[in-house]
Amino acid sequence: MAFDLKVNGKTVSVDADPQTPLLWVLRDHLAMTGTKYGCGINQCGACTVTIDGQAARSCNIPAAQAVGKSIVTIEGLSPDRTHAVQRAWAELDVPQCGFCQSGQMMAAVGLLARNSKPSDADIDQAMNNLCRCGTYLKIRAAIRRAAELV
Amino acid sequence: MTKHQTDFAPSGGSTVELGRRTFLVSAAAMAGGLTVGILPAEQAAAALGSRNPGQQSTGAEFTGVVSIAPDNSVTIRTVKCEIGNGVHTGMAMIVTEELGCDWNLVRGEYMPPNRNLRENNLYSKTGGLAYFSGRSTGKEMMEQLLQIGASARERLRVAAATRWGVPVDQVKAENSTLTHAASGRKLTYGEVASDAAAIKLDAEPALKPKSEWTFLGKASRKRINMQHILDGSAVYGLDVQVPGMVYATVRHVPAHGGKLKSYNFDAIKAMPGVRAVVVVDPAEGGRGLPDRVTAPMGMSATTNGPQAAVAVIADHFWQAKVALDLLPVEWDAGDGAKWTTTQSIYTALGEAAKDTSRGNVLRAKGDVDDALKSGRRVEMEFMTPYQDHFLMEPLNGTALVTADRCDVWISTQHAQQAMYVAADETGLHPEKVHVHATYVGVGCGRRIYGDDVRTVVAIAKKMAGKPVKVIWTREETTRQGRYRDIAAAKITATLGDDGMPKAIDINQAASRPIGRNLTDTPYQFAIPNFRGRTKPFATNIMTGPFRGPVFVSNCFFLETFINNCAETAKLDAVEYRRRLLANFPDKGWIKTLDEVAQKANWGQSLPRGTAQGVAIGNWAMATTQDGAPVPFSGSTVATIVTVEVSRRGNVAIPRVDVAFDLGSIINPDAVRAQMEGGVIMALSSSLHEELNVANGAIVEGNLDGYRAMRQADPLMPQEIHVHFGGNSGHDRFSEAGEPPMGPPPPAFVHAYFRATGKWITRKPFMKYMG
Ligand code: FES
Ligand code: FES
Repeated sequence: MAFDLKVNGKTVSVDADPQTPLLWVLRDHLAMTGTKYGCGINQCGACTVTIDGQAARSCNIPAAQAVGKSIVTIEGLSPDRTHAVQRAWAELDVPQCGFCQSGQMMAAVGLLARNSKPSDADIDQAMNNLCRCGTYLKIRAAIRRAAELV
Repeated sequence: MTKHQTDFAPSGGSTVELGRRTFLVSAAAMAGGLTVGILPAEQAAAALGSRNPGQQSTGAEFTGVVSIAPDNSVTIRTVKCEIGNGVHTGMAMIVTEELGCDWNLVRGEYMPPNRNLRENNLYSKTGGLAYFSGRSTGKEMMEQLLQIGASARERLRVAAATRWGVPVDQVKAENSTLTHAASGRKLTYGEVASDAAAIKLDAEPALKPKSEWTFLGKASRKRINMQHILDGSAVYGLDVQVPGMVYATVRHVPAHGGKLKSYNFDAIKAMPGVRAVVVVDPAEGGRGLPDRVTAPMGMSATTNGPQAAVAVIADHFWQAKVALDLLPVEWDAGDGAKWTTTQSIYTALGEAAKDTSRGNVLRAKGDVDDALKSGRRVEMEFMTPYQDHFLMEPLNGTALVTADRCDVWISTQHAQQAMYVAADETGLHPEKVHVHATYVGVGCGRRIYGDDVRTVVAIAKKMAGKPVKVIWTREETTRQGRYRDIAAAKITATLGDDGMPKAIDINQAASRPIGRNLTDTPYQFAIPNFRGRTKPFATNIMTGPFRGPVFVSNCFFLETFINNCAETAKLDAVEYRRRLLANFPDKGWIKTLDEVAQKANWGQSLPRGTAQGVAIGNWAMATTQDGAPVPFSGSTVATIVTVEVSRRGNVAIPRVDVAFDLGSIINPDAVRAQMEGGVIMALSSSLHEELNVANGAIVEGNLDGYRAMRQADPLMPQEIHVHFGGNSGHDRFSEAGEPPMGPPPPAFVHAYFRATGKWITRKPFMKYMG
């Protein structure tokens, strides 16, 4: 069944079962692979995108629920890697393997959208993503830095 | 004679040792190697994105390792895959030191293993761990890369000198620019690259001595793949798109080593998108490699043999997953069924450790039995569980198999091993196997042997001519791991009147029974009677290398025990170690310990409930043939962990301090990142992680049952301070990834003891605390 999604400012048509998780529609149907699969059960945050400006874990959202809403993925965060979060991430050299980092950055974007000066506790609470490489302390510092750069 | 403990060493290999001269061949000689036709699959790989490492750019080639394009960009091709440890950046940095290019113009690609094979293994002399996997700074690798850089630089100078008609020694090469000072003329490397690449030098230039390096070990460099990560364009195996591909997801027999009894395809046949169910049958076996060809990491049933499995192939992953969840399958658990519970394994393992009637004595000196008869006795029993790598990127791979060619796109730690495994599985000559390595969402040892490659190819070959992307769900990735080895130990000591050990008797059992950082401890030089014994202990559950294999368990056993000896003797644990290490010639140990003690302000008075603990260890230390430690080898790390225990028993870790001696280093920030990440992974696995077994199968599948440390974990260390002052500057460049996995857990246990009076002797600590 075909339906429309609004991704990174563009309306795209998708031919998939609307119950397919948004994550797999993005990845397999739209070939937007910046959004990652880590756990599939709403725990790790690798699949985080923003929907109408709020961070959301796309593995746990049927695509049908995102119809009519504005979805932003890592690919659409900025045209040239200059979003404050991307700049902070680069400045602090946050990533190791990088696999979790799309989700980390999108979760940070969601956090900063609703809390422009988050405390460490706010950050820990809002992020709670898995990074197996253990970049957590850098992530915390980078979010504080991004808050300054916004 | 010294040797490394080679518990998972390469098995030799089919590769040919070539003279030093050979890898410096000119572009003209290389051209032959490049004339192979570009096949559709290679075009697909190129379409992955111009900035990903599997893609091969063009430019004047100095060797396969270095190309310089007219726009002055420098491409450095590495045989090692980027798993997050910065190896891709590190190797490019090494070439840059001698090449004298502008670092901002450097980008990285991978050397395809197939090209390496076609060019007589030019870029991988040993074929094993030393080249296609592991760190950037192995001695041979570094020398090769430095020589390649120096050779290219000299050829650029000759080309510029020829163009200007001036003597070569008047041409300076620096920052990607060639300069003739007298006339003020300048050329970029890119402007003369194609001339230079055709030049053959009469003699290879000598390398700069390390003392004259201007780049390595000086300022830190950011990872060269940063931009791809920032905008999501980095292609990991999971992200590969091959035109026309279909998707598969796989389920293996839950009890490792078991068999498939039956399945019913009819039940799911009509589901949307479903194309087929295919079976992976271990009884079919590999087709074998050509005569006298062996894989660098070997082949065996448990390292990379297939396990019984079924896979559903569908148009899309989600369709395949939904269908596989509904596919009726019956398994025969086989022998593994006898391990009914985790406890049944722990009981048997504990008994094996304590059984002194057998075991392989790795080290013995003095008369331990006699010395144990008198003096103050310290005795402890330890155990560590199976733990999963929990790689951020679940296992996956894409393959296209035809009658005369096999292409594999995969996140791997060893692209060359992957090529041989795919050759074995298909029966194709390795020359017909093309492995396109991608970025890797963490390796930690899990992606070296190629069991994932085999399964991917075994499934794809049943859909010959069609690219198949195989994705393990998280649950399947976790339950089909090659886990951290299970281990137990009983250690007994008697202390002399001075409180120092008179005798230590170590009895360990493990699924990989090695004594690294246990029976080879340099403490033994200060202990008159010392014995270390190991025994193998196996179940059907498969294990494999995992960031510091066995080292992590052994370091926990030994350091906790030594801390207990010091506490029993009422002696300071740092001073206790200084005395134990006093006779060991490698003073890097004490230097590292002193550095961390000073920086962490060891001995300071702390509020009630807060305490510090200490531990030290060495990863990959060499040993003599009779098991004694070899000084100035491996990577030494010392840690002080500060622990806070509230009145209610809540535990927090306000601070961790780390110092190290790796000998020399090339990229300080990359070392810092490995140390910080290692501390967190070490504490995560030691505090929380345990796999349970029921009837021979792993119980936990996902983060709902398997707790790995996340951002909001109350036990997340709030600060990690990495100190560089312990580094000795010794000539070796040792690994930074594994060593921080060892000492933080026993340092935590020591601090917890000092805060609460209780020793924790088993992992995961959370289960045994309070
Ligand atoms: S993949 Fe969505 S939360 Fe883990
Ligand atoms: S950077 Fe590797 S998992 Fe986070």
